[in-house]
Amino acid sequence: MQPVKYAIISAAGMGSRLELNMPKCMVEIAGRRIVDYQLDLLKEVEHVRIVVGFMEEQVIDHVRRLRDDVVFVRNPQFQTTSNSYSLYLATHDLREAFFAIDGDLLIDPASFQGFLDVCDGSRSVIGVTDSKTEEAVFVELDSAGKEIRAFYRQPRTPHEWCGVACLKGIRINKDQGYVYKEIEKHLPLPAYNLKCFEVDTPEDLNYAIAHFKG
Amino acid sequence: MKTAYCFDLDGTVTRDEILPLLSQEIGLYEEMSALTEATIKGLIPFRKSFLLRCRLLNEIPISRVQEIIAKVSLHETLAAFIRDHRDNCFIITGNLDVWVKPLEQLFGCTFHYSTATVANDRLVSVDHVLNKGDAVKRIRENFERIVAVGDGMGDVPMFEEADVRIAFGGTHPPIQSLIQFTDYVTFSEKALCNLLSMQ
Repeated sequence: MQPVKYAIISAAGMGSRLELNMPKCMVEIAGRRIVDYQLDLLKEVEHVRIVVGFMEEQVIDHVRRLRDDVVFVRNPQFQTTSNSYSLYLATHDLREAFFAIDGDLLIDPASFQGFLDVCDGSRSVIGVTDSKTEEAVFVELDSAGKEIRAFYRQPRTPHEWCGVACLKGIRINKDQGYVYKEIEKHLPLPAYNLKCFEVDTPEDLNYAIAHFKG
Repeated sequence: MKTAYCFDLDGTVTRDEILPLLSQEIGLYEEMSALTEATIKGLIPFRKSFLLRCRLLNEIPISRVQEIIAKVSLHETLAAFIRDHRDNCFIITGNLDVWVKPLEQLFGCTFHYSTATVANDRLVSVDHVLNKGDAVKRIRENFERIVAVGDGMGDVPMFEEADVRIAFGGTHPPIQSLIQFTDYVTFSEKALCNLLSMQ
């Protein structure tokens, strides 16, 4: 069993840029939904919480058939709040380490297993990925490429924050706009390079369909 | 901070709905189940439906009702949580005091229930039908924070007075209109107990 016992999937948002009438976690790629792949990755994690908002009934109905012990955390204010607020709702009662995963990510399973293996619950580990987008939060790594030194929007660097982290001793604030801003206060922190695809726009979806091998 | 945990009884702490279980005694299981389901969904107001169901069940001796209720199947992990935290756990049920007495003894925690008059081992009258919101208000006099767990329309008044609201679909899926009032939804007893232990 994975020593980090909690995982949070933030899946409350509308995903309006994708222009599909469904939450991004419910988007199908190669016949399975994004959340299906994510739940596979989290099989060894004891407690999974999923933050739901947009079309919550459908998400709950779908997920409970795949894994019956999920706790759904409701974010009824999903239209006016950020991922960070969703993560706050799901973690404000936790004192131990937890995984935080954006609900719109397709993550290469072997790559994620490597990430799980380095997360023993004693420290935070922040997921990064090779830069793919223009609107990313870029990361500056140390010379060995093992630690994050800084986050910034500009200039572009070879790596970006990918929306996956194992957080230990980092509290997510209710009012903070972005998760990376909370992480930033604790830098430097270990980085782990993950192979993953964010599905944010129709172009992202096409790219993920072409490259993702679930 | 002093936290009180308030639980609906039927289908939340118990695995079965109690009134349909009792109705098997008088051969009205199907009818009672339909009536109970409609009440959980909020299609019939609780008070009206409950008084009608009591009327149907009043020919069963109270001692027999208690015998049946003493054997009702429970969510055992949740029941253990309640027994372990009996000083700050409360059962909030529309069911009658004279019926659920065996469970009150079993859990050792305070029950808030509807009350009735009994004579010669028979139900004579229902004197007071519990409003779950009123029960939570009384509990709040001694606690700063209320965590409430339920599954049906009758639990809405309890949720309106609570600080943390959990819909638990251990027996049947919580109704959608109740979910709108909640912070958490889960279908697993194990997950519910873990969540409660974090509150």
